[in-house]
Amino acid sequence: MNLADSERVSAVLEGMGYHKTDNEEEASLLGILACSVRQKPIDKVYNKIAQWNRWKDKRNLITFVSGCLLPADKDKFLKTFDLIFQMSELGQLPDMIREYGVVTPAGLKMRQPIMPKNEHIAAMWNIKPKYQSTYEAYVPIQNGCDKFCTFCAVPYTRGREVSRPSQEIVDEVRHLVNQGYKSITLLGQNVNSYGLDKNGEEITFAQLLRQIGEYGNTSDQEFWVYFTSPHPQDMNREVIEMIANYACLAKQIHLPMQSGDERVLLKMNRRHSMEKYRSIVEDIRELIPQATLFTDIIVGFTGEGEAEFQNTTAAFEEFKFNMAYIAMYSPRPGAASFRWEDEVSSDDKKDRLHRLSQTMKVYSLEYNKTLEGKTMRVLINGTDRKTGFMTGINEGRIIVRLDHHDDSLMGKIISVKITDAAFLSLSGEVVPA
Amino acid sequence: MMTLMRHDHETDESFYKILEIRHLTGNAFSIRLPKARFAFKAGQHISLGIVGGNQSREYSIYSGENEENLEVLIKEVQNGYFTPQLRRLKIGRMLEVHGPFGKFGMEPEKAEKGKFVFIASGTGIAPFRSIIRTYPNIDYRLIHGVKTLEEAYDSHEYEKSRYVLCTSREKTGDYHGRLTGYLKTCTFAPDTQFDLCGNSEMIFDALEILKGKGFSRDQIHCEVYF
Repeated sequence: MNLADSERVSAVLEGMGYHKTDNEEEASLLGILACSVRQKPIDKVYNKIAQWNRWKDKRNLITFVSGCLLPADKDKFLKTFDLIFQMSELGQLPDMIREYGVVTPAGLKMRQPIMPKNEHIAAMWNIKPKYQSTYEAYVPIQNGCDKFCTFCAVPYTRGREVSRPSQEIVDEVRHLVNQGYKSITLLGQNVNSYGLDKNGEEITFAQLLRQIGEYGNTSDQEFWVYFTSPHPQDMNREVIEMIANYACLAKQIHLPMQSGDERVLLKMNRRHSMEKYRSIVEDIRELIPQATLFTDIIVGFTGEGEAEFQNTTAAFEEFKFNMAYIAMYSPRPGAASFRWEDEVSSDDKKDRLHRLSQTMKVYSLEYNKTLEGKTMRVLINGTDRKTGFMTGINEGRIIVRLDHHDDSLMGKIISVKITDAAFLSLSGEVVPA
Repeated sequence: MMTLMRHDHETDESFYKILEIRHLTGNAFSIRLPKARFAFKAGQHISLGIVGGNQSREYSIYSGENEENLEVLIKEVQNGYFTPQLRRLKIGRMLEVHGPFGKFGMEPEKAEKGKFVFIASGTGIAPFRSIIRTYPNIDYRLIHGVKTLEEAYDSHEYEKSRYVLCTSREKTGDYHGRLTGYLKTCTFAPDTQFDLCGNSEMIFDALEILKGKGFSRDQIHCEVYF
């Protein structure tokens, strides 16, 4: 969500005449968009603002913080940041900056209810984002979360699930495709709960995918539409059928599992069983056998002993994930689990992270090896720092490295023959058009 | 400090005035608010915050769907941050209510035809009271696990033949021991629907017992309290 948020913040600031810089030391306005799930990024905020406030002695500087902020964080940040606002209040940022005037560390607090108001969220969506890329874009389709996973503070920072009108989403996708965007990611905390908050007055997530898919069928552009993150509770066969049926819906599914142990899943209040997760993966394998499967995992959550961790490892062996974003559990103030003892030692967490990463590598490599010799479409999206050669991603979001450089190919989808496979990436050569 | 926008506490539809606080035990109490301004399904939960405060928590709705008061059941957490504040609130204070949330709700057609076993630990009884008050003719059996008799919150409201109190720390209930111990002794009709609400440990153990008795996961619905 932070990427989509930052594109909208950029749009607002550029509308005020600010220009983006990668150099903090020359900036006159510096801001942070915070995260709700892990505490570490919040800790980094404190380090950053201490440095920025030292710079204020030497130059005129306004600082702000937004994103997923707990009321408790806000109270602390008030003492250090000049501006604090919820993303739903983004439309008021220009007024805040104008009214702020002279820079002091006094801070600015808005009186507001604990939860953001729906009309403010709608106003945020109407801000035309300043896309940071000319070929990859993120489209928010939903704000907030109703799931109350015990490790996460999103329901307390972004409020309950609110779906963006489907017409706006389809229009934004269409606009992006017409602008030449090749990779479009639909964003939300639980994308597949899309529409459910409207009690029948909005289409479902599967129907939204169908509309985008139908548009894709009429477009002469090649593009891939992804979504993240779905929650297993609301994932259904209809969504998977849509992905299978429409070419523009990317054959890659990111399905957070968090743990492979039933007891830990209950403790996390994930609201899905392993049986449910397994049935979704079986549907994916049946309907879209070529799809890559990504997941999120938290190791070292309260209540995860070695036996529970072994169940997660066994799930990796069963589902053979292509990629897993594995995080060591860190208690986040505001999340329910913060009240519990963080009983798994840091060493054990590191050990489990390492072991699970090794398991993932085995299956990732096994899959990547099956791609050797094949020709596939690859979106060129970067340059390898060491070699200077191009890199890209295939439709399944596996990194592809090329022994080639041609600036004109940046942001284009081209054909590549895979020559070699490593555990997290592929190597290939450009197939002449 | 500059204030750009002042929120109107009196007119916000999410703000509810406390009408009554019922102290049920030394540390459990219910808060009664005006009638819900939203439609909810018995079994769902809401988030509750103190207006002017900076935190919120989730509580299952304790009252029935069409009752004149929205009510929640709360147990004070010793050395907690939020529940001691709630307990100290006076009648007339405003609470911020959002919701309803969750899929742990009873559908009318299901309530009419189904055969239910409700399994609750502690204040996990709240959604079941809401369901039973909403559907007085529902075919249910309520198994309530607590430590002592005083935690049998509003137990006089349930038909004696349908309510089983399991007390783990004294012999005052219908069964002396944990509710999972009682569950092991029970037999249920094959088409029974099970609804479980309480802490994750109880739910995990009860799930295992029910699966061991041959019931499928589709027949078992869980709401974890944390």
